[in-house]
Amino acid sequence: MKNIIQKCKEIYIKNKIIIVVLAAIITLVLPVLVPKSYFMGIMCRILMYATLAGSLNVINGYSGQMCIGQAGFFCIGAYCEAILATRFGINFWIIIPLAGLVTAIVGLGISLPTLKMKGIYLSIVTLGFSEIVRLTALNWESVTGGPMGIKGIPTPNLFGFEISNSKTYYFIFLAIAILFIFVTKRVVKSRIGRAWLAIREDQLAAKSLGVEVPKYKAFNFMYGAFWAGVVGAVYAPYVRFIDSTFFTLDEGFNILSMVIIGGQGTLVGPVCGSVIVNLLTEVLRPIGEWRMVAYAILIIVMMWWRPQGLVGASDSILAGDKGNGKKLEKSKQKGGGAHGVSVRS
Amino acid sequence: MEYLFNQIINGLCQGSIYALMAVGYSVVVGVVGMVTFTHGEVIMIGAFAAFYIFQAFGNNLLLGLIASFSASWLIGMFVYKVCYERFFNAPRHISLICTIGVSMLIKNLAQIIFGPNQKPMLNVIENKFFALGTIQISLVQVIIIITVVVLAILLSLFINKTRWGISLRAVSQDKSASYLMGINVKRTAMIGNCVGCGFGGVAGMLLAIYYQTLSATMGSSLGMKAFSSSVLGGLTDIRCSALGGLCIGIIENLGITITSASFRDVFAFGFLILILIIKPEGFASKKGVRP
Amino acid sequence: MKKLVALGLTLVMGVASLTGCGSSSSSVAEKGGTIKLGVLAPLTGTNAEYGKGFEIGTKMAVDRINAAGGVNGYKLELEVKDSKGDQKESSDLARKFADDEEIMAVIGDFASGSCMANAPIFDEAGLVQLSPTASNPDYAAMSKYCFSIMGRQDGEAPFFSKYILKKYLNAQSVGVIYINSDWGKSCYDNFKKSADEVGLNIVETVNYVQDEKDFSSLITKLKAANPDTICIMDQGAVPQIINQVRGSGWDVNITTLGPGTSEQLIDLCGENAEGIYLSTPFFFDPADQDSMAWKDEFVQKSGFEPTVHPACAYDCVNLIAKAIEACGDGDVTRQSIRDNLANVEMEGVTGPIKFNPDGDITRKYLICSVENGEYVIKEGFDYSEK
Repeated sequence: MKNIIQKCKEIYIKNKIIIVVLAAIITLVLPVLVPKSYFMGIMCRILMYATLAGSLNVINGYSGQMCIGQAGFFCIGAYCEAILATRFGINFWIIIPLAGLVTAIVGLGISLPTLKMKGIYLSIVTLGFSEIVRLTALNWESVTGGPMGIKGIPTPNLFGFEISNSKTYYFIFLAIAILFIFVTKRVVKSRIGRAWLAIREDQLAAKSLGVEVPKYKAFNFMYGAFWAGVVGAVYAPYVRFIDSTFFTLDEGFNILSMVIIGGQGTLVGPVCGSVIVNLLTEVLRPIGEWRMVAYAILIIVMMWWRPQGLVGASDSILAGDKGNGKKLEKSKQKGGGAHGVSVRS
Repeated sequence: MEYLFNQIINGLCQGSIYALMAVGYSVVVGVVGMVTFTHGEVIMIGAFAAFYIFQAFGNNLLLGLIASFSASWLIGMFVYKVCYERFFNAPRHISLICTIGVSMLIKNLAQIIFGPNQKPMLNVIENKFFALGTIQISLVQVIIIITVVVLAILLSLFINKTRWGISLRAVSQDKSASYLMGINVKRTAMIGNCVGCGFGGVAGMLLAIYYQTLSATMGSSLGMKAFSSSVLGGLTDIRCSALGGLCIGIIENLGITITSASFRDVFAFGFLILILIIKPEGFASKKGVRP
Repeated sequence: MKKLVALGLTLVMGVASLTGCGSSSSSVAEKGGTIKLGVLAPLTGTNAEYGKGFEIGTKMAVDRINAAGGVNGYKLELEVKDSKGDQKESSDLARKFADDEEIMAVIGDFASGSCMANAPIFDEAGLVQLSPTASNPDYAAMSKYCFSIMGRQDGEAPFFSKYILKKYLNAQSVGVIYINSDWGKSCYDNFKKSADEVGLNIVETVNYVQDEKDFSSLITKLKAANPDTICIMDQGAVPQIINQVRGSGWDVNITTLGPGTSEQLIDLCGENAEGIYLSTPFFFDPADQDSMAWKDEFVQKSGFEPTVHPACAYDCVNLIAKAIEACGDGDVTRQSIRDNLANVEMEGVTGPIKFNPDGDITRKYLICSVENGEYVIKEGFDYSEK
């Protein structure tokens, strides 16, 4: 497996421009190539989860905090859109950043009191938060419609062209995914991203080197929450009807497993995870009720075979070498993509 | 006033079920050192084992107890082999995902094997009531509360006084050091895990008797409650976990008294988050306890 | 970033595997051929019990129709897909059915949320979505292609408060316990409205969310208000609530709105179910051989007692068959099925069915009670007119 990945990398580096251009063309004309709304629906789902998993990866993979309540942020974003669009008739394109901001503020609210918590204590807080958000959406009838949900969310409009079905919505999800990857790549390579990585690898060392740990941790949470909120806001008009059953804990686990199967700490990881998980559930469909069993077995096999995920950062604390630099040096000698630690400035 | 008292009794009873689950959970987490999401499924398996034994051999509580304990023990062995053994030195999220996978596996297999419908549990324990003034408490409730207290005490004694328990504690504190002291770490960890799961199974049986129904999907929400009670108690401390379960049960029921049951989990998690913010390690504030 | 290639490879694999399926044919069903019906059901996940019921209920109907020589010269064929109770999967499958031009109508999904998320997709494709169980009052009006036969709650709930509680049982004070879902909420709202009209005294109301197991604190709360009758509004958790009410030693009149004459209720409650009153649109009459045979066949195929849901799924297939029959010599298309379905009138297992302009139905109800482990009809469909 490692060899294959290595080879792929080599091929990619050699023909970088051709591959990128080709990939760009394929993704852009995909709805024309395959004019099936089912297929485009799957693509939308993949892209949506890629961004969602990516946003969780920012929290779990880059700063090493353990959040499993991403469904809560997703929920807030979606309800923000639904409420603002149906009650106040605000334009979709304005709501997107707005919903992101609201979610980011909530993320800050979660992050500030929990800065001192570690590992599993933080994850149970995020998990609880996710459930509280869902139950609030279920019970706060005057605002969220309670168990009836919110229906008739208007579809977005771009230059008079209505975006209503999966074939056209694909481009919105694509744009959001690309924007997310582009911005996150910038952030990760900046001072902020380096601080996150330092916190992930060794919080104490980072502190002693002058990294303001609380500030960066809080910002990390806000950043991850922001994008989850954005995806939620994009998702709501896509389905046109939302209620609280869309955002259960299982949703959060689903997102988490995508991040971990794909690999934490790299930008491609969650995308890969989303592709694999979403395709698998579709491809395994013929085996009926055994589908989820097969899926569960695959998750376990994956963890045995490649614990850092398919394309995860293999040279960080996440891949399992606690504190010993041996593997790190090895990968440096190989000159492989030591993206996790040795970020070039 | 007596209404409030009745609600507290309800909370106490529900809390003791949580406590029973949390006791098993904290043994698992304490010994293995990793968090698990399979506990709900272990509980479900325990309930089903007892259910089939009761169907086959009639209302024999002891037999059911043994069956659910041993069935969960076996599941515990499976979980240990799949999720923990290889990952002691790996980061925790790996075994965490593994447990999520195993929990999905068991849940879906159970749904295929046992059928997707709810099943009626036999009335193994007679429906009797004890009246203390206007407050009444049923026999099942009494049995559950007694079981929790007895189990928590027994388990505490076992862990603190016996040789086995001491090696379990050693393993839970430092695996490499206990390895150097000549403890068979893997076996001890496995047994600890299985004991925890066995208690989960017993909890499952009592739970099914108390609610009189069981189904293959009953585990997930219960596992979550076991998890939160255990976190509230500091994850590894048995007595504190039991206390955590009781607290969550009572808080939930008091919350329901004021509002409605739709808010049950809001109260449970809200209380948990509040406590964690004040005391980041739960009730047990021992230094150096992992994880 | 250099791992993009691995991603590319997986994508190619995905494209290959997904485009393989689906073929196009004319959207008019071939004369004397087979007509394919899509079924969306949660075969895995928390609602698997109902999904399984859907699968078996629809299959039984199709088998019977085909054994009787098909409908209008056509044979029926089912394509059952697992939606896992997840809206996203359900929507993807809805798109799959919409793409597949052989599918002439779709039965499902179980949950209202999924159905409502699917509504725009089916609306665009001009494909009928006939849900046996969707109970959100807003669902059927979302599109003219959306139908539901669950029965509107502005029919059953007022019947319940006016005729069962007020007129038949003459309850002085009522405690209500309902599930906080779209169904339960609309049930309660309608119930409350008509209860106020007829002067029924509701002394306490409590609710809970799905997957609740412990009702003891709710029961204590109801008990404190001391009603002479309680009313349970739910479909899944009714047996647990009845068991826990009786288990707490509370001897109160129990009435329940929702489960209908569910055999499961008697199965799960045993003697605790004695003497409860309920409203139901249909009834497995022991004297009626057809419905008993239906019940036995279901139990034999599924291994558990039927609830109202599989019976509704069974009726859905028969409704579509009726709609196909009504097409007569004309072409059977998605559109013609929709048009005829809107006008179909049928006596189903679950009672008489006729759609409102919106595409849902207002049912009539019987009053039943449990005596010696069996349902007994207390008052017929005409009770409200007496």
